[in-house]
Amino acid sequence: MIQTQDVLPNVPNQEEDISNLERVWRRGRGLFGWLSVTTHQAIGMRYIVTAFVMLLVGGIEALLMRIQLAKPNNTFLNPDLYNQIFTTHGTTMMFLFAVPMMEGMAIYLVPLMCGTRNVAFPRLNAFGYWMFLGGVLFLYWGVFTGAAPDMGWFAYPPLSGPQFTPGKRTDVWAQMITFTEFSALCVATEIVVTILKMRTPGMTLNRIPLYVWSLLIQSFMVIFAMPAIVVASSYLLSDRTIGTHFVNPAEGGDPLLYQHIFWFFGHPEVYIIFIPALGFVSAIVSANARREVFGYPAMVLSQIANGFIAFGLWVHHMFATGLPQIGEAFFTASSMMIAITSGVQIFCWIATLWTGRPRMTTSLYFVYGFIAIFVLGGMTGVMLASVPLDLQVHDTYFVIAHFHYVLIGGAVFPLFGAFYHWFPKMTGRLMSERLGRWNFWVLFIGFNLTFFPMHILGLKGMPRRVYTYPPEVGWGSISQLATLGAFIIAIGGIMFLANVFMSRKTGSVAGNNPWEADSLEWAASSPPAPYNFEYLPVATTRTPMWVPREERAFVTGLRTDRREVLVTTLMDAEPHHRYVLPGSSIWPFITAITVTIGFIGSVFNPWYIISGSILTFFGLLGWFWPRRSTEIRDEAGVRA
Amino acid sequence: MTEPKTIDVSHLPPYDISSQAPLWWGQLLLAGIEGMMFCILMAAYFYVRLRMDVWPPPGDQYPHKLLATIGLVPLLLSCVGSYWAGEAAKKDDRGGMIKGLLLNLVLALTFFVIRVLDWYSLNFSYKADAFGTYMWTFLAVHAYDYTADVIFTLVLLFLVLIGRHGPRVRLGVHVDSVVWYFLVLIWIPLYVIVYWGPNILETQ
Repeated sequence: MIQTQDVLPNVPNQEEDISNLERVWRRGRGLFGWLSVTTHQAIGMRYIVTAFVMLLVGGIEALLMRIQLAKPNNTFLNPDLYNQIFTTHGTTMMFLFAVPMMEGMAIYLVPLMCGTRNVAFPRLNAFGYWMFLGGVLFLYWGVFTGAAPDMGWFAYPPLSGPQFTPGKRTDVWAQMITFTEFSALCVATEIVVTILKMRTPGMTLNRIPLYVWSLLIQSFMVIFAMPAIVVASSYLLSDRTIGTHFVNPAEGGDPLLYQHIFWFFGHPEVYIIFIPALGFVSAIVSANARREVFGYPAMVLSQIANGFIAFGLWVHHMFATGLPQIGEAFFTASSMMIAITSGVQIFCWIATLWTGRPRMTTSLYFVYGFIAIFVLGGMTGVMLASVPLDLQVHDTYFVIAHFHYVLIGGAVFPLFGAFYHWFPKMTGRLMSERLGRWNFWVLFIGFNLTFFPMHILGLKGMPRRVYTYPPEVGWGSISQLATLGAFIIAIGGIMFLANVFMSRKTGSVAGNNPWEADSLEWAASSPPAPYNFEYLPVATTRTPMWVPREERAFVTGLRTDRREVLVTTLMDAEPHHRYVLPGSSIWPFITAITVTIGFIGSVFNPWYIISGSILTFFGLLGWFWPRRSTEIRDEAGVRA
Repeated sequence: MTEPKTIDVSHLPPYDISSQAPLWWGQLLLAGIEGMMFCILMAAYFYVRLRMDVWPPPGDQYPHKLLATIGLVPLLLSCVGSYWAGEAAKKDDRGGMIKGLLLNLVLALTFFVIRVLDWYSLNFSYKADAFGTYMWTFLAVHAYDYTADVIFTLVLLFLVLIGRHGPRVRLGVHVDSVVWYFLVLIWIPLYVIVYWGPNILETQ
């Protein structure tokens, strides 16, 4: 008997339960088994690895741009290639790295933190990953066949329309969006239902870990924001392929409408990336300050407020389009308002660290780095919210500096902190703290060296998206500094990879709870068994792992000879009924292939939408067809 | 040392066909996603409309309201069948499920036939101008979702007919009604916009 949980209740037939769980949750053999996996740890890890590869690819694209801009009149990249690279860089970082990475972490961590065995819809989860992978492969197929998009990552018409960008480049971009949005919506749905209906008993709404709260808010934001980008990219694509007039000004369409719809998605998107990062920070701060995060209700409410306000900001991306002044004033006010709710959280973390006993781990270094960089990015955000200043620096490097400060500072630094924090949970071994601190400082210095000078470049008038500049304008030396910083960031990235590969082999063994942290993922073994827990741990307080061992409680009586989980009530997490999750299946993969045929085909011929739909129908039929082996039979005396 | 406490859940039912089921919530969120998409389509329509002087543009005629209005009757009534089947699924009542699903399907298909007849009377193409594009988008997107759900209801009916209505399929029958109510409800604002909108928004 392998015991993976740190404490187990004394129940009869424990050995039998564990061997049943091992058998029922085992993955199939070979390629077929690999393609059929539906456990959340495996799918989450696939997201994390794929998105990390995308971070590296996007980073290489950034380096190519920085080499080109290092000196005036440089000819390292030609203008066309430069356009393709900056568009692919932005697209990759936003759609193929940041969002999927946050989703991968959520898929991995949320079921563990909620004390359950898997996400609510395991097959949908697998399907979502394959769709994401389809988007990655489609975009990079474009890159390597000369069809990389070249009109900027937000693809404004009329530039992106059929008249000014013929060929397939914009179509590849638009359909890549569809892939990733499908994936994001699948994940959001299953995360919301997992959090609302599958929390372990005792985990009432006011005991949900702050990281899980952040994912609940983020998933609702995905559900309300992503349909907008589906509409925007479909408008663009159908104007280009079947001659509709959504955004074509010649026939009554409106290109500005595209901007509205795009940013109605695009602004919440920033928070979709950033809010889970706030959750990482809360988890890291409470584990390392060794106390509960200060002001739990204020934290939760300000995150919820962030989620709402994020939908009322989008027009600040469009101040230069000549909108009515009253509208601009409204969006200025709301853009400044979000600084309040973000500020509340910063103060709560500072109060937690101030009153706790902080232990200076690498992950906490990254949190400090986050606070410093993010506050600076927030300041330039308040500046940009003011219309006159925005008009001066619109589309300059000042804006580039601002959003790299908020996105890298606000999301990537906490993400690296999260890697250092949860690496032991995912692999069973600790990362090197010594190398980790070097890693932090190199990244921190490299980051500031790259992006701080861009504020100055912007104020000096350097526009974004220019492939070169003449020497007289005097941007050369500052640009060179930024390029130097970019290479230092690259060294930091290499150090991180080195730490990952070395620690996986030789890192010290972590045990279940190396940080003595408070949330339930630390009750499982490192790495967790496919079923997470032998007996689901009950959340007796908001910090269940800080409860003395003898006072902990467990759920017994779930059947172990099938993938059974517990469904609880929404508010109070009272046990309601048992529920059997589906097992491994190849059908999500097959369905993803049929949807991919429809999506990619429709770029070339709109009729593929129909044939793809028909094929997908058969995919879904296989997916949902009841199999006798998995049917739930009533036990004696139990009728639902 | 005292032993950790345990909560025994073996007495709880092994499944539940109601709004407590995770799948029910999943369907509700799916309806939320689609609802949001339709809201954005409608917002876009009004945005474009408010920027045009003449609506509909010269050359496009108003859509006829008669057939579309008649079509509302079977559409709204189809919810009765859906409700019937959903409730029968809770009670494991095979006959009720079959009757409910059949009623739902017959009325849904009646609406569909009326809709296709109506489409032939529309005299604007989706390619002609923005008016045509936006109108046909409402019709096509709703018809696509509608067709997909009709096909899945057919599959459910088939499964119940061949006796494969275990708890999973019955839960499917129950939550299918969530999506169906959504498709019916969302049609009402779309109907008003497509068939009454040009009149109401007319400026001449």
